Amino acid sequence: MISYIIRRVGQAIIVLVGVTIIVFILQHLLPGSIARAIIGPRASALQIAAFNRQYGLDRSLPIQYLSFLNQLIHGNLGYSFKQNMSVDAIVAHDLPNDLLLVGASLVLALVIAIPVGIIQAVKRNGMVDYVATGISFVLYSMPSYLLGLLLIAFFAVDLRYLPAEAPQQPTITGVLSDPAGLVLPIATLTLITCALFSRYMRSSAIDSLAQDYIRTARAKGLGQVAILFRHLLRNSLIPVVTLVGISLPGILTFGLIVEQLFNFPGIGLAYFNAAVDGDYPVVFGVTVLVALVTVLGNLFADVAYAILDPRVRYD
Amino acid sequence: MSVLEIDSLRTFIKQRSGVVRAVDGVSFTIEPGETVGLVGESGCGKTMTGLSVMGLLPNGGYIADGAIRFGATDLAALGERGMRRIRGNEIGIVFQDPMTSLNPTMTIGDQIAEVVRKHRRASAQAAMARAEEVLALVGMPRPAERLSQYPHQLSGGLRQRVMIGIALACEPKLLIADEPTTALDVTIQDQILVLLDSLKERLGMAVLLITHDLGVIAGRADRVLVMYAGKIVEKAATGELFRRTRHPYTAALLASIPKLGEPTSRQLYSIPGLPPDLSHPPEGCRFAERCSFATEDCRVEPVLGGPDPSHPYACFHPIGHGSTLTQPEAIDGHQQAANQGSGSDLLVLDHVVKEFPVTSGGLLQRSVGTVKAVSDVTLTIPRGGTLGLVGESGCGKTTIGRMIVALERPTSGRVIFEGQDLSALTGTELRRVRKDLQIMFQDPYASLDPRMRVSSILREPLQIQGAGGRAEQREHVASLLGEVGLNPRAMELYPHEFSGGQRQRLGLARALALSPKVIVADEPVSALDVSIRSQILNLMRRLQATHGLTYIVISHDLSVIRYLADRIGVMYLGKLVEVGSSSDVYDRPAHPYTLGLLSTIPVPDPDVERAKQAAAVAGELPSAMHPPSGCRFRTRCPMAREQCAAEEPALRSFGADHLAACHFPLQTPVSPLLGAGVPR
Repeated sequence: MISYIIRRVGQAIIVLVGVTIIVFILQHLLPGSIARAIIGPRASALQIAAFNRQYGLDRSLPIQYLSFLNQLIHGNLGYSFKQNMSVDAIVAHDLPNDLLLVGASLVLALVIAIPVGIIQAVKRNGMVDYVATGISFVLYSMPSYLLGLLLIAFFAVDLRYLPAEAPQQPTITGVLSDPAGLVLPIATLTLITCALFSRYMRSSAIDSLAQDYIRTARAKGLGQVAILFRHLLRNSLIPVVTLVGISLPGILTFGLIVEQLFNFPGIGLAYFNAAVDGDYPVVFGVTVLVALVTVLGNLFADVAYAILDPRVRYD
Repeated sequence: MSVLEIDSLRTFIKQRSGVVRAVDGVSFTIEPGETVGLVGESGCGKTMTGLSVMGLLPNGGYIADGAIRFGATDLAALGERGMRRIRGNEIGIVFQDPMTSLNPTMTIGDQIAEVVRKHRRASAQAAMARAEEVLALVGMPRPAERLSQYPHQLSGGLRQRVMIGIALACEPKLLIADEPTTALDVTIQDQILVLLDSLKERLGMAVLLITHDLGVIAGRADRVLVMYAGKIVEKAATGELFRRTRHPYTAALLASIPKLGEPTSRQLYSIPGLPPDLSHPPEGCRFAERCSFATEDCRVEPVLGGPDPSHPYACFHPIGHGSTLTQPEAIDGHQQAANQGSGSDLLVLDHVVKEFPVTSGGLLQRSVGTVKAVSDVTLTIPRGGTLGLVGESGCGKTTIGRMIVALERPTSGRVIFEGQDLSALTGTELRRVRKDLQIMFQDPYASLDPRMRVSSILREPLQIQGAGGRAEQREHVASLLGEVGLNPRAMELYPHEFSGGQRQRLGLARALALSPKVIVADEPVSALDVSIRSQILNLMRRLQATHGLTYIVISHDLSVIRYLADRIGVMYLGKLVEVGSSSDVYDRPAHPYTLGLLSTIPVPDPDVERAKQAAAVAGELPSAMHPPSGCRFRTRCPMAREQCAAEEPALRSFGADHLAACHFPLQTPVSPLLGAGVPR
C-alpha cells in the first residue's frame, strides 16, 4: 500500500512538471513579448531590454524555465503588475473561499448521491427510480448559470428567503459570517454535481446487485441492510471514486461560472477578471494551481480506490 | 422423515416476452444423509428448482404453486424473514462460479465469519475462530494465513473450497450444490467432489447435487432425477438408472457422450433439435419433438409412473420393451482413412518456446519475470490427421494453438507449415498463408460480432483474401451454411438469433470459408450442452473427411479428445510430457500425469466411478513464472523422488511414436534416450 502511494505520488509529480512546461511555453508564445505584455505597448526598446535584464528574461529558455520552476517550488506563483501584488497573495486570499464552495458542494453531492443512487438501484424501474432519474436528467442537462438564475429568481426574488448575492466580505471569516449568502451558490454547484454522481452511483449499484456475490450474501441469510452496507456499498463505490477524481476540474469550471453568477469572492472570479484584463501572471499562476488541485484530486481518487479495492493494492 | 419434500412445485419467471414456466410440477424427496442428483441440460429448470428451495429466485421469479416442506416448515409459504433464518443456517448452497461468487472486497475470514455471526450470534472473535476451523475442514492449506487474504489471491479451486466453507459453516441439514465443479479443471473437479463426499459423511447432511454431467452424477449420487423442460422425466437409484434406463431422453443423453472404452469409428448419437421454449411449452410429452419413438400417443402428457414404483418414468414408449435407440451409422472407410493422416508432415513444431513478459507499474514499466507458457515443445502433425492437446488450464495448449495459426510468434524455435517457417514470413506472405490456417474458438457467444449479420461474418474472410466477386461470395456463404447444417436463410440473421450450438456451427463455417488446410479448434464444444456437443463433434468429423482437413483440437475433456484425435499430446505447465497414438495414451499411459488425468474424468458409469478412491491428482498447478526445477510435475506426482527435482526428464520412446518425459515411467521404455531427431 505504501509503495503504491509512493508510485502514484511519483506519477503526479511527473504530470505537474509537464503542466509547468506547458505554462512556461505559453508565456513565451504571448504576442509580442512578456515585457511588452506587462509594461505596455508603448514601451521603448531600451525599457524592454532593462525589464528583460531585471527579470532574467534575457537568459536562455532552459535556464529561465529552471528559475521559473525554482520560484514555483518556493511557492512563488508570479507577480501581477496590473494589481501590483503577488499572485500568491491573491491566491492565499481567495483560495479558502473556493475550498469552502467546492469542498462543501462535493461533500454534499456525495452525501446525497450515494444513498439516492443505491435506493434507485434497489427499486429500479419503480416510481422512485423514475422520479429521481427525471430530476437528475433535468439538473444535469441544465447550464449551471441557468440553474443558478432560476434558484435566485425563486428563493431570492419571489420568496425573499435568501440573498441573491454571495457574501461580499473577501476573507474567509467574512464569508463564513454570512452563511445565508452561501446557500444558493453551494446549492447550485451541489445540485449539478449530485445529478452526475447519482447517475453513476445508480448504474454502478445495479451492476453490483447483479453480481454473484450478492446472491451469495443472500444465500447466507443476511438481511437487506447488511447486504447493502457490507457487500454492495464498497463494491459500487469503486467506479464512482474514479469519477469524483476526474470530475474535479469540471466542478472547478462550474465553480467559476457560479462565482461569476453570485459574485462570489473566489479564485474563479479572480481568474475570470484576470483573463478579461489580460493580467497574464494571475492567469498562469492560477492555471498551475488548478493543475495542482486536479492532480491532487486524482491522487486522492487513486488512493481511495486502492483502499476500497484490495485487488489494486497488491498489484 | 425426509429432510426435504417437494410437492408439485411450479416456479414461473415473469419476463417481458411472457411467463417462463421454468419448473412445472416437480415432486421429489431427499432423505437424511442422502445425495440426490438432479441432472439435465441448461434451461431445463434444475437450477430454478434449487433456487426455489433457497427462496433466491431471480427478478420476476415466483413460486406459483406447490409446497417445499423442510422438516415441519413449508418454505414456499415462509416469506423473506423466515427464509433468512433458514438460508446459510439450515440449508447451504454452493454456486457454479467461484471466481464471481465471493465478494472481492472482503477477506476470506470475514466472509465466512459473517454467516457464523448471523446465525450463531457468536462474537467476532469466536466467529473468526470458527472460520479458521471451517477452512481446515474444507482442506484449505494453511487456514490461519488465509483468513486475512482476499479472493483474488486464491486459485479457482481454493475459492470453491471457501464457498463450500461458507455453505457449511453453520452445519446445515441440506447442501445444495449447483454445478459446483463445472467452472473448474478436471483435476480440481475431482478434488472438490471427493471433498463434498467426505464432508457429507462427517456432517451427516443431505446433498442435492445439480449438474449437467452424467459422469459426476454416476459417481456421487445415491438417487438421480432427470429433468427435461421443467419436468422430471425419470427417477431411480443411480445404479438402476444407468443400467436400466427407461426414458428415451435419459438414454439419448447417455448415448451422446463419447465414452472412453468405445470404438471411435462410429458417429456419436445426437438428439435432433433444441429443447422447447418454456414460455410456450408444447402440449403432451415435451420431449416428443426430439424423440425417435414418438407417436400419436405422445400428444397426451405422460405422467411419472410405470410398473416399478422405485423407478418411475414419464413416457408411453420406454426403452427396454423391444425398443432401443438406433445405433448411429458407422463412419465409412473413406472417412476413417482420412482420419489416420496420410503420412507427410503438414506442420512441424520445432523446439518451440513462448514466454510472456510480466511487467508491473503504470508509467515506468519494469519487468518482474516471464510466464513460461510453452517450453521447448517439438511435435509433428501429418496431413489429414488430428492432433489432440490436453492438459489443465494454464498448461500452454491454447498458446500452441495460437502459434500454429500465427496469431502468436514463438520466442524461440520454429513453427513450420508446408516447409516454411511461419515466423520468417513477411506481412504479405503471411497473409497469404493465413487462409490455410484457421481457428475456431471456445465461446460461441463472444467470438461472433453481435452487430454483423451472418452473411457479413462469413463473407469477411473471403473479402479479405479477395476470393471471388460479390455474387460468388454469397453463393459460397450459402453453401457453407448448408455444409454446417444451417438454413441459407440464416444469412440475414444476427448471431443473437441463434442457439449456442448453431453459433458454434457458424464458427466452424467461418473457419471453413477459405477452404483451409488446418483448423485449430480451441475447446470447440466445452461451452455446449451434451446433446448439442455430439452434433458438433459429428459435424467436425464429417467435414474433416470431405475437406481433407488437418485438425488440432485443444480440450481439457479427454473423452472429446479421444473421440476426435488420432494422436494425443499431453501438456503440463508448458511442457509436452507425453505424446502418442490415442490407444498409447489411453491404454498404456507412461507418464503419471497422463494416468492421473485419465482417472479424474468422470465416467457415466456408476460402477467405474464408485471404484475410484481418493483424488487422482493432488494439489494445484504451480506458477508458470517459477516452474519447479527438474520435472515440472514433481510437486504433484506420487512417484517423485530426488532425481526428479535435480534433473529434467527427456522424452523417451515407449513404442512407435509413443514418447513420454518421466524418470520413473509407468511403462518400460524401448530405447534408453531419444536422439536429437524430431519425434514422430
